[in-house]
Amino acid sequence: METPNKDETEISKVEFNDSEIEYISYGGEHHLPLIMNLVDEELSEPYSIFTYRYFVYLWPHLSFLAFHKGKCVGTVVCKMGEHRSTFRGYIAMLVVIKPYRGRGIATELVTRSIKVMMESGCDEVTLEAEVTNKGALALYGRLGFIRAKRLFHYYLNGVDAFRLKLLFPRPDLHAPLDSPDKYGSHMHSDHGDSLIEQ
Amino acid sequence: MATLDRANEAATTTVQSRPPRIPSGDNSVWADVSPLLHAACQDLHEGDLIHGDNFNLFAAMSALEIMDPKMDSGMASTYYSLDEAIENGAAPVPVSDDKTTDVRCIIDIFDHILACEATWHKGHSLAQTVYSCLYLLRPERTSSHALLHSFCQIIRATCKAVLSVVSDSRTHEEEDLFIMAYGLPLNEDGNERCLALLNAVEETICRQLRACKTTSSKRRVSEDIEPLQNNPDLEEGYCRALLCRLRFRKHFYHILMSMKRPHGGGLELAREHIASCISEIGHIRKSSDFLRASAPEMSEQNIENTTASGCKPIGFDASLNCRLSAPTPPRAIKIFCLEKALEYFVKLLHDLDIICSCSLNPSLEAALLFVVKFQKSQPDLVSRAHLQLLLVQNGKLFGRYPMFSMITRAAGLPEVVENHDIQKNEFMVQLQQMVMNLLKIICTNAAWQRRKLGKMLQDWRVTYVQLELDFKKEFGNTSNNETLGFKIFQHILVWVEEQTYWIAFRFLTVGFELELYADHDYCMVYWYIYIVLINLAEKKHLRMAMSSGTGKKKTKKKRDSLKDAGTNLQISPAVRFLQSQIYLAEGLGMMLAALRNEHRIVPPQSPFSTEHEVRFSGFPLTVFKCITNFIKALQRVFGKFYSALDF
Repeated sequence: METPNKDETEISKVEFNDSEIEYISYGGEHHLPLIMNLVDEELSEPYSIFTYRYFVYLWPHLSFLAFHKGKCVGTVVCKMGEHRSTFRGYIAMLVVIKPYRGRGIATELVTRSIKVMMESGCDEVTLEAEVTNKGALALYGRLGFIRAKRLFHYYLNGVDAFRLKLLFPRPDLHAPLDSPDKYGSHMHSDHGDSLIEQ
Repeated sequence: MATLDRANEAATTTVQSRPPRIPSGDNSVWADVSPLLHAACQDLHEGDLIHGDNFNLFAAMSALEIMDPKMDSGMASTYYSLDEAIENGAAPVPVSDDKTTDVRCIIDIFDHILACEATWHKGHSLAQTVYSCLYLLRPERTSSHALLHSFCQIIRATCKAVLSVVSDSRTHEEEDLFIMAYGLPLNEDGNERCLALLNAVEETICRQLRACKTTSSKRRVSEDIEPLQNNPDLEEGYCRALLCRLRFRKHFYHILMSMKRPHGGGLELAREHIASCISEIGHIRKSSDFLRASAPEMSEQNIENTTASGCKPIGFDASLNCRLSAPTPPRAIKIFCLEKALEYFVKLLHDLDIICSCSLNPSLEAALLFVVKFQKSQPDLVSRAHLQLLLVQNGKLFGRYPMFSMITRAAGLPEVVENHDIQKNEFMVQLQQMVMNLLKIICTNAAWQRRKLGKMLQDWRVTYVQLELDFKKEFGNTSNNETLGFKIFQHILVWVEEQTYWIAFRFLTVGFELELYADHDYCMVYWYIYIVLINLAEKKHLRMAMSSGTGKKKTKKKRDSLKDAGTNLQISPAVRFLQSQIYLAEGLGMMLAALRNEHRIVPPQSPFSTEHEVRFSGFPLTVFKCITNFIKALQRVFGKFYSALDF
């Protein structure tokens, strides 16, 4: 679902201290236009206002915004819920505007969401990213996401996606060699291939 | 959000005071809901939404914002309707009253349609590619223009044929845009008629070409032939440019028809047409210098051009029917340039030629290997669909060989068992279905294929267990191990295991192609491959030894049975090949483990998961099973390697 654009070569970076970036959990309707503007500008997929509200109204605690001197420079929008036999977190949109990229803002945003998901009892977190989006793939790779599958022509622009997946440790199931059945029970439950996970 | 009740009250009172404008029918009453909505709006705050309980992400994402060009496919750009476009002269017939201009423009139309066709094959909607041609949308309009009409007819017939192959084979899976064709005229013309007309037009242009080449002294023979267009200097060039384009269409259509024939009966004929098609593509390429030179404005040879002349074609508008394309937001479609389209067709034709070269031998193993080899060149949807339809017809391999007999042969059983009643066993029936599915699935695109193979592994495992239970139930208490039924079960069980490992191997290797593995995954992946291959080789060897055992018994009375027994003990080339692959996987696994020990490959230190989760996510249960089964045995043999991997 997320596709930050490329062409970062020409963008002049903004000078700032990491401590100047302020992270705020979604706080209400006044944040919505900020999120929509960022996503509209940076991601390839078109979303209606219903889609944004679907996420931020149902899971406001999973959405975060990053501000620099009052300006919104990044955001993450997520959801979570039952998916087959698992409780799954899903990262729907992640954006940092170009002049602020490469400084760990996206990692911080997404880490905050994942922490809340973990504390809320999620077994795993998934998302889709364009196969050409090296930056996002590297970011999620560092966080421990693996490429679970490839989705052919997934985006409206015809590009394939990787379904990335992060599996949280589950102490009760930490002995796969002795009990592969038990361990595998939540391995093979991942068939949400449509654009929308229902 | 709970504003409906109050609004409803207000609305009912207001509605009663106004007479309904639309008369009520038998089962319907029309009422003005404006007051209801108005009342509801007053209670709604910004961000509120009245919705049912089933409002989900799908519903939210299906909502479109009107007049947002990213979402609103109904937004009119140039014309509101096809009629309006035609009235405004967007697609005149003839394209020009000047015959030379008409021919030139028609060649541009042909070229652009070819570019659109390749773009469609590559996964875009038919409505926004080929059917962006306004001439195709109104078949009756072109009937006065034989050249344009014959071309449009063959295009419609070709699209219909390609569409039916892809939808019949269901290889499209995620490429569902491909087969969406509602609202488009595909069925207007009979197949025979479209070829007859095309042949007639081709014949006329042939004569015109001959006529313009004959010297004036011999002209009397061809005096009655009207030239293609007005400029004698351009006559030969235009005739040739048209002929290769028409002939390409004709042969391409013949290929589609021949390949459709049952039991692969038209493959030889199809290969002849494929060769002709490729040679016509050569002629199309050769004609481009002439066409560029004859264009009104000399254009640079631009790689972006969709026409050989470099001119923009007349009569296309992709926005007119983009609302027919799919129930999704409009996709930005970039039509292939002509050269890229020709390259696509050359590849398609080569791929189809490979399919036609398939020996239709009654061997499941050969068929599976053929597909795997074929998939290496990453063939596109249309050729994969053809291959699948060739492989499985009416539930038989190549439409000729029943699946059960293919299974018994693959399992190394003698031919006599092919009609054995055991094939009616519930799980044997299931097995036949699974083999058919396997054949179909390995024809699909790699991404889809791998997911299906992952799911399929479970099915094969379950069927194995069920067959084994039946086997024990039937033969467990008897000492009669020599019956045919016993032998069939015994052989097929080994073969099912072998095949399961084959699927697991394919599942793992397709992951490379899909770029699913990160650097630090390779060690684990080769380790998995190593284990899967050991199992596969073992089962294959066992199965071969078993069948040579039955062979031995049958030939016992022959004099050279001793010699046979000698060769039977040898390891077959197939198993030897697997052994080499095992060594390779082992070596690579060892090397990667060593690199990790030396910290040359550093796995990410995730704050959320350990390497344990990374290692075991993304692989189906059956892969783990065969790994856990063997891990302890391997631990004994490769103690150090094992600990390096930290399993």
